[in-house]
Amino acid sequence: MNVWQLVKVHRAAALVLALLALSASLLLAALPRGFETAYDEAVHGMLRDVSAQQTDLDVTARPLSAEALIGNPADFETRYAEFAKHLPRDLREAVVPLGQGTSHFSAKTTGTPVDTRLDGSKGASHEYVDFAWVPAAADRVTWVEGTPPGPSSTLARVPGHPELRNLKVIEIGLVTEARDKMKIDAGAVLLLGNSYPVVARVTGIYEVDDPADRFWEHNYEVTRAIIRPIPGDTESEWLTTGLVSDEGLASLDERRELSYSWVYGLDRDAVSAADSGAMIAQVDDYSRILTDLAGGPYSSMFTTLRYELVTGLDLVLTDFLSVLRTAETLLYLLLGGLAVVSIGVLALAVQLLTERMRTALSLVRARGASLGQVVRTGAAVIALAVLPATLLGYGLSYLVPGPATLVGHLVPVVLTLTTVLFAVGRLALAHRRPLKDTRADVVSARSSPRRVALEVLVVLLGLGGAYLLRSRGVASDAQELGADPFLMLAPAGLALAAGILTLRLYPLPLRLFTRIAGRRPGAVPFLGLTLAARSRGGAALPVLILLPALAVSVFGALVSGAIGDTQSRAAWQDVGASARVERSAEIPEDVVARVEALPGVNSVVRAGKGNVQVGIGGLRATVLSIDLKDYRELVAGSPLTVPDPPRGLGIPALMSKTLTPYKELEIGWHTRMKVRNMGRLDELPGLSFPGENLIVMPFDGPKRAGLRTYTNILLIDGDVDRATLERTVGLNDAEIETYATSLVDVRDTPLTGAITLAFTIATVAMGVYALIAVIVALVIGAADRTKALSFLRTLGLSQQQARTLTVLEVAPLIVLTAVAGLALGLVLPLVLGPGLDLSAFAGLAVTDFPLTFTTPALLAAGLTAVSILGAFAHATAGRRVTTALRVGESS
Amino acid sequence: MTTLSDLEAQATRRAPAFGEHAHILCDNLVRIYKTEGVEVVALQGLDLLIEKGELIAIVGASGSGKSTLLNVLSGLDVPTAGLARVAGMDLLSMTAKDRLRYRRSVVGFIWQQTARNLLPYLTARENVMLPMKLAGKKAGRDRADELLDLLGVADCAPRRPGQMSGGEQQRVAIAVALANSPEVILADEPTGELDSDTSEEVFGALRRANRELGVTAVIVTHDPLVSEQVDRTVGIRDGRTSSETLRRTSEDGDVIAEEYAVLDRVGRLQLPRDFTNALAMERRVRLELERDHIGVWPAGAGEENGD
Repeated sequence: MNVWQLVKVHRAAALVLALLALSASLLLAALPRGFETAYDEAVHGMLRDVSAQQTDLDVTARPLSAEALIGNPADFETRYAEFAKHLPRDLREAVVPLGQGTSHFSAKTTGTPVDTRLDGSKGASHEYVDFAWVPAAADRVTWVEGTPPGPSSTLARVPGHPELRNLKVIEIGLVTEARDKMKIDAGAVLLLGNSYPVVARVTGIYEVDDPADRFWEHNYEVTRAIIRPIPGDTESEWLTTGLVSDEGLASLDERRELSYSWVYGLDRDAVSAADSGAMIAQVDDYSRILTDLAGGPYSSMFTTLRYELVTGLDLVLTDFLSVLRTAETLLYLLLGGLAVVSIGVLALAVQLLTERMRTALSLVRARGASLGQVVRTGAAVIALAVLPATLLGYGLSYLVPGPATLVGHLVPVVLTLTTVLFAVGRLALAHRRPLKDTRADVVSARSSPRRVALEVLVVLLGLGGAYLLRSRGVASDAQELGADPFLMLAPAGLALAAGILTLRLYPLPLRLFTRIAGRRPGAVPFLGLTLAARSRGGAALPVLILLPALAVSVFGALVSGAIGDTQSRAAWQDVGASARVERSAEIPEDVVARVEALPGVNSVVRAGKGNVQVGIGGLRATVLSIDLKDYRELVAGSPLTVPDPPRGLGIPALMSKTLTPYKELEIGWHTRMKVRNMGRLDELPGLSFPGENLIVMPFDGPKRAGLRTYTNILLIDGDVDRATLERTVGLNDAEIETYATSLVDVRDTPLTGAITLAFTIATVAMGVYALIAVIVALVIGAADRTKALSFLRTLGLSQQQARTLTVLEVAPLIVLTAVAGLALGLVLPLVLGPGLDLSAFAGLAVTDFPLTFTTPALLAAGLTAVSILGAFAHATAGRRVTTALRVGESS
Repeated sequence: MTTLSDLEAQATRRAPAFGEHAHILCDNLVRIYKTEGVEVVALQGLDLLIEKGELIAIVGASGSGKSTLLNVLSGLDVPTAGLARVAGMDLLSMTAKDRLRYRRSVVGFIWQQTARNLLPYLTARENVMLPMKLAGKKAGRDRADELLDLLGVADCAPRRPGQMSGGEQQRVAIAVALANSPEVILADEPTGELDSDTSEEVFGALRRANRELGVTAVIVTHDPLVSEQVDRTVGIRDGRTSSETLRRTSEDGDVIAEEYAVLDRVGRLQLPRDFTNALAMERRVRLELERDHIGVWPAGAGEENGD
């Protein structure tokens, strides 16, 4: 038989099938591509958020003997190339070449104290000036005073130090901050080092061109003068590092704390999510290769350099992988649901087309076609409709930016194969035997025991899988690549089980309704419900489509809801109020007054905050003075909880866990004061960090100690944006946070966006598929229904009643399936709960799925309404049953 | 004079089996449709013998089992029990392969609905060639034209069913049924949807096929036009053959039709309902063997006669 002719004759049904195949192929192939792009963006974002030191590969070595020293810049370059050669493939492709980005090499000393300033200038009592040879820095600084350092020289005598002779003089340049804060000017001469002293002469002062250049993250010390408190001492120490020239490199020897570093800068955008697993392993490999390069772990550590890899890349990527796994799980769950639904709709369309071809194929079969010929012809028609469509969909998916994925490649193959195999099965069953043993016009056959046993088995497997998943959780090893297949299978099994139960059980409530309808006067409800209770076989596919569609949508809504709620909570916890202004120094009264007068500001609570030493044991704590009662009123209605204010004589305070043993503590905040421990409070989100020691006293605590109140934090309730607040406050050093900006920060991550978008797309797609499923199911049964209706028309059924009858025939099944789908969707989070860690998307641990019924119920109602509307549209726009059955025609 | 050896030969010679030489044979044929809780017995022990080259009509009320019989004979349905043999092939023990061969080369089939016989998007010629192609024969365009010509629809060859009249469609359908030179053609009310003139044409085509190609033809019909023109009409009642009407042409050219009741192999006989009603025969009748016939009396009347 001519296959093409069959396609042409049944072009409408073939077109429906082709369009469905096209959309399914496009969706299923394009979504993974989109996911991959989001994953890549996520890994890039994550790498951008951490410092270059963590992402770059830093090969370090410490020379411990003169033999191990490298005094020649050319030797550094040779080694740079040598190490680069041994980089494993993915890492090699991801690093930027020497001279670009953060790739560079350096030699630096640490902890070199200033003994005396030989030029007579005065500095702090504890000063450190180190040497750094960073050739790549030369292009990144501008000399504002003096000249760049030159070669080293020798100083025969050191004034005031008769014991020191022929000291090496190393020329250095210092950053402007060292000049300004440590008062070391160009021309200063410093005697450095307590043992093996050396002289440093400051030849010039430079300014860093672009402090934001990530290059400086590796060389932070040459850009700043750092002040550091000395533990157990009231004074602080100053540190800075001077740049030396290439010639100066030779003067840096093993007697200083000298270390060499070859940095391979990572091109963040060259890292893809798919490679990250391999990269983690390669970092480990590379570390081992470097050990071997130095002659293995047993070589002498004195005569040769031992290389060590310093990087946080593997840790960052491991963190990323654990986030990725949750995202993958969610998205594959979604994709799986979508695949099941779209394959179901395709199967329904195949059923439509094979029903349309049935007459022709039966005739052909009766005229002597073998089963093979019939099946081949039918399957070829299906393939002709499906294959080009899936290939086109697959081709179109390339318009979506993103890398090709294995899942994407498999989509057209799997879709075509499943569809054609389904058609083969259907055709073979329909035409295998000349005539069936039963007649279709009598009551439906009872299910065979074999089928009942199979269904019971499927239901038990579905429930068992869900139970196992719940008790076992998901394999959560981030190193293990790919999603947990069990996690994919269990929900699918559960959906299948729910589908079977729905199909088996839905006639039961219907019978009740039928009985009620039978007692009422109208005939149409009774007839419709009776038809609904009798409809069989054809109902299975729509149920199996509607149910997972709704379940996945409801699940998606719950997940989005949980993420949204937690994001909101995270933002509240981050800020501590609608907005917060914080400063280390006091906030002047006029600023407070201006903020209070801002339009949109409802109320402002003042607070004082400081970091204090507790007692004399070196224990430090954050101390807050705030009126907790006012604060509680301020945050009423938000997810934040505020405890009762401490009450009592003196200065009552709430303290965190580690401070509970103390009944009374003396702290030095503004003055020495004694606070009495009146209760426990571990954390005030937004105002203190978890884990740190916390003391919360009333706002007038310092006043009670004999001073006055202090304000350096303003907690604001109201609707005010950050820019306005910044303008109003007008203090450069004030830190201003608002709930809105904080929420945007946690919400706008690529993965969160991808998940939200994917759930939206999938929900819409599944809604459309469900609608199509209902209509196709109705079209398949249209011929039979027309016969039945035309018979009823002879008995006086009106056109309107015929329409209502059609809708009533499918509505009960849709409504009951929707209820089952809603229930399954609500149960899914409970089943998957332990396997899904959404904290990465929410900024906080998602502790529980709040069972919000509104969105899911709306979804279910919407899907039901859309499906029933589809039925109504079919009943209205479909072929009108205009004629009553005429005498002589058979019904 | 019969010798002992003659007697011996007579004793050892097997009597010819029932319908051994018949082209179509149904012996005690039973077909039961099993449905939930209900069994519908469509054929309940039907006997039928048809000789090669015969043209017979089968008549009966709706639901009497005519269509089931035809489905069994065409190999589309499998009987539950009994014996059914067509052209030497046992319809009960056929494998799927045999069945296919049977459908391809032994029988041809014509349905009542003209639309069901032909694929609407193929021309008449293509429709006739279809069974040949399906059987893997070289598609004989000439043979198709020849058959269409024989049935008087040569001009329809390039037309699609939609462009033909009902009668033409049915005649093309006969050509399709004859495409693979079957030994038997079965027609299920071939003139059911046609007016009497067209019916005449279609029946004429069937008779021509029967006469000129020597094909055994079995026609299920309600149409007296058809049933009164065949040599033999078999009536079916309640899944059994109940009567046969034989027709012969008298010496002066008149057609003489004689209706017979069917006596089955175990001696059962169905009396026409009109007869039994007329004499109020119920439950029991009295039989008397006369020299050349058997008399049947109502139970009461016989007793009176006996007095």
